[in-house]
Amino acid sequence: MKDPNAILIIDDEEVVRDSCTRILAKQNYKIQAAPDGESGLKMVEEFKPDLIYVDLKMPGISGMDVLERLQQIDTTIVNVVITGYATIDTAVEAMKRGAYDFLPKPFSADELRLITRRGLEKRKLLLEAIALRREKEIIRENFTSIVSHELKSPLFAAQQTLYAFLAGVAGELQPAQKEMLERIRSRIDAMLQLINTWVEMTSVDFRQIRERFKPVDIPGLIFKAREMLQAKADDRNVQLVTHCPFSVEPVYGDEETLLEVFLNIIGNAIKYSETGSCVSISIEDGNRELRVSVSDTGVGIEKEDIPFIFNDFYRGKAQSKTGELGSGLGLAISNRIIQAHEGSITVESELGKGSKFTVVLSREVTKNSIGDAGKAH
Amino acid sequence: MEGKRILMVDDDPDYVDAVKMVLEKADYSVEAVYSPRDGYRALETGTYDLVILDCMMGRGAEGIIVARKLRKKKELGNLPVLMITGIRDQTGFFFVGDPKDEAFLPVDGFLEKPVDPSVLLKEVGKLLHSRKTEESKKGE
Repeated sequence: MKDPNAILIIDDEEVVRDSCTRILAKQNYKIQAAPDGESGLKMVEEFKPDLIYVDLKMPGISGMDVLERLQQIDTTIVNVVITGYATIDTAVEAMKRGAYDFLPKPFSADELRLITRRGLEKRKLLLEAIALRREKEIIRENFTSIVSHELKSPLFAAQQTLYAFLAGVAGELQPAQKEMLERIRSRIDAMLQLINTWVEMTSVDFRQIRERFKPVDIPGLIFKAREMLQAKADDRNVQLVTHCPFSVEPVYGDEETLLEVFLNIIGNAIKYSETGSCVSISIEDGNRELRVSVSDTGVGIEKEDIPFIFNDFYRGKAQSKTGELGSGLGLAISNRIIQAHEGSITVESELGKGSKFTVVLSREVTKNSIGDAGKAH
Repeated sequence: MEGKRILMVDDDPDYVDAVKMVLEKADYSVEAVYSPRDGYRALETGTYDLVILDCMMGRGAEGIIVARKLRKKKELGNLPVLMITGIRDQTGFFFVGDPKDEAFLPVDGFLEKPVDPSVLLKEVGKLLHSRKTEESKKGE
């Protein structure tokens, strides 16, 4: 059987404590009472109440203060305020401090029972919501990591075998055989990439990005992204050019995910560029915002595709110059990352002429949002 | 590099075969075991010049536990460990190419699945060579 609900009554009047205890004793509740706020708060940890009745007017710390302290201890405990002088103002004030309901003195046994039942129902819902959220989180994380491992393992084995064959380890291959194996290899590559991106989509908690905010040196980050993409650019004989002011103030953000964004956008520009052309990256520093734009003179995006390119799994009709197929997730992820930074990512493009992606990171918002944390130091 | 003995610990026999093929072609002798437990056992009875370790085995990143255990075993000396893992397999632990945290993951080399055969041979050669030079230094 389920544990009986625990109810704590904090009231300086003995008669109120006793009558509440008597009225509620008929139901299957565990009940404890405290004569003042201080001792009541002390009991909370041990007694673990589901519901607390708090008298507003008591000697020592007031009922309002008790409510406030309870909010810091556990927001899922349901608090009901008992008061002899119920006014709208005190009610509003009590609600503001986390009270769920109001019990005006004098009250009848039925009123007390009703409010108790409602309060406990509320507590049950609060706990259920938390449990569900946690369960969802666990399922999401485990599901993704298990499924991705199970999907990837056989692909790794297949791919590793193809690598060995293509390296001629199992004997020289005919050109036609080699070409077909190459094609299989690139299909598997694309699939592995899709799984990786999908894992990233589901496992990156975009709300947590903000918690990792710190000053980020954007030109440094662009430099890092360039370094990582240089081989790809050389492969395609695409030149990377950066225009950057002499000194750029850092912007608050999450370095790891921002790098992801720049890798994605610059990588795309390389992928869709003509051989021998140039991808230009420019950083513009403003008081209120910092803009990074990446322009290419490649295939461009069809007008009707533009509104959808930031959607999950959307792939434009334009063929990449490398023939590789993307997962259709890169820009969707980048968009979410930039949104978590309260910035924006936009595109201007013309078919056959090229595209320009612009990431705008706000200095204002990021400064304000972490200003409080900064002050605490 | 003839005669150098490599122990490969990986729970996927098909993956092992593909890597083994490449290493054997380069005249290494490769022994494969398919669980951490068999890996410890093999190291107790046999002698090896290099261990190739899969990161994701069993219920999770058991390869990390294996690597840490091996590093603590004094009797293994400075047996080099090469870890092979799928990129971002275990979400958020580490990224290939990151500076490795020696205390958290004590391995000598780190490669990403699937491994290009030439990259694999180069890394294996490098690790075996570094061990040889260290040992000859000790001998002096």
